[in-house]
Amino acid sequence: MVNLSNNLVLASMVPSHHNLTYHLIVILLSALAAFIPRYFPMRFFTNRPIPEWFNEWMKYVPVSLFTALVVKGIFVDGKYHLVIDHIHLFGNNLTVYGLASYLIAAVCVALVAYFTRSMLSSVIVGLGVVWLLSVTIGV
Amino acid sequence: MQHKAHQIDPEKQPWLENLGIAMPLCLSYLPIGIACGILLHAAGMNFLLTLLVSIVVFSGGAQFILASLLVLDAPVSSIFMTLFFLELRYALLGSSLSKYFKHSSQRFVLLFSASMNDENYAINYLKFATDKNWTTRDALMIEHYSLISWASGNLIGSLIGSAVSIDLTIVDFALTALFIYMIVMQIQNNITFIICLLSIISSFFFLLLTKNTIGIILSTLLTSLIGFAIENRVRKYSKSPNKTWILGKIHRPRMTKTTVEEMEGENAPEEEQQLNSEIHDGDK
Repeated sequence: MVNLSNNLVLASMVPSHHNLTYHLIVILLSALAAFIPRYFPMRFFTNRPIPEWFNEWMKYVPVSLFTALVVKGIFVDGKYHLVIDHIHLFGNNLTVYGLASYLIAAVCVALVAYFTRSMLSSVIVGLGVVWLLSVTIGV
Repeated sequence: MQHKAHQIDPEKQPWLENLGIAMPLCLSYLPIGIACGILLHAAGMNFLLTLLVSIVVFSGGAQFILASLLVLDAPVSSIFMTLFFLELRYALLGSSLSKYFKHSSQRFVLLFSASMNDENYAINYLKFATDKNWTTRDALMIEHYSLISWASGNLIGSLIGSAVSIDLTIVDFALTALFIYMIVMQIQNNITFIICLLSIISSFFFLLLTKNTIGIILSTLLTSLIGFAIENRVRKYSKSPNKTWILGKIHRPRMTKTTVEEMEGENAPEEEQQLNSEIHDGDK
């Protein structure tokens, strides 16, 4: 019974036109997107020096990209509207921009990452905090 | 390093020695891989497709994003572009390792680059820089151990995803947590921190303006070019660029200031600290 209701929820999440062919096309394109940046620069630079400007520019790509993805994950919903969350704490009604539980958990993850440098503990603490907040104050 | 007198001497069994080096990474890939498998299952992929994705894409961030884009029913072109920009950082990682592959065949470079990843890159970079006997074959072996562990995690997640009901909003945060971890690892000096803050503003602007994932790409291009331009100007006009505040290092807790990882500015997970402490223990 639990399984059935679970499957119904899942079925509603998956857009109806997604079939095997669609998934295979997506996988093929993902594989290309993963392979091109990995192979060609490495292949190209095995027998010539790396230009300075390329390295200097690429240095700033990860931090810009990851920040944008985190902003999207916390503050922007599936329809690209700003998320506005309401939490009830000690009888007060607070309005926050962004998903409240994700915001609090994000701060915890950043602290754990800063002090431990461990990917596993950062992710586990993050998931733990989100879970804890959802069962305690229901945000 | 001293090894106990086992029947199998790890020094003479490279596969075993390399397995030991890759083990911390493999163990931390498993739970994240399981979370990723659960999400891909929820996005409508069966376990065979999930296994295929985990092998051909082999990137935690890209696979989590893929799952959420599938649920959002993003257009195929948008999926490709987002993943492409997400994976573009490997251009940097690959080219920084390329000097160790001067004598390798093209086929070997192809095989190696296909399964390169943030974390196994960090291990291989450290080993290439510190260990004279570290060969490209050893490096490939590390990649394949981590690939096996990641693919198994995905497979397990995909299989249990249909059997258990898990609150997806909690698992979904794994992606954001993973990216926050990577940001913290990236921020080594003041300018990176400023670029991070700038990126928050610009990604808000572009995401709400374009109402599309292209906003992420525009924001990334803009802020990375600003960072590049600022550093370029500082290096051009300052007499001692590395002593200026903007290029100055950000304070980190003492335990993280270990030997080689300071040089690389990429993800340096705990495996390296363990490797380093092992190396130091061996000195005593």
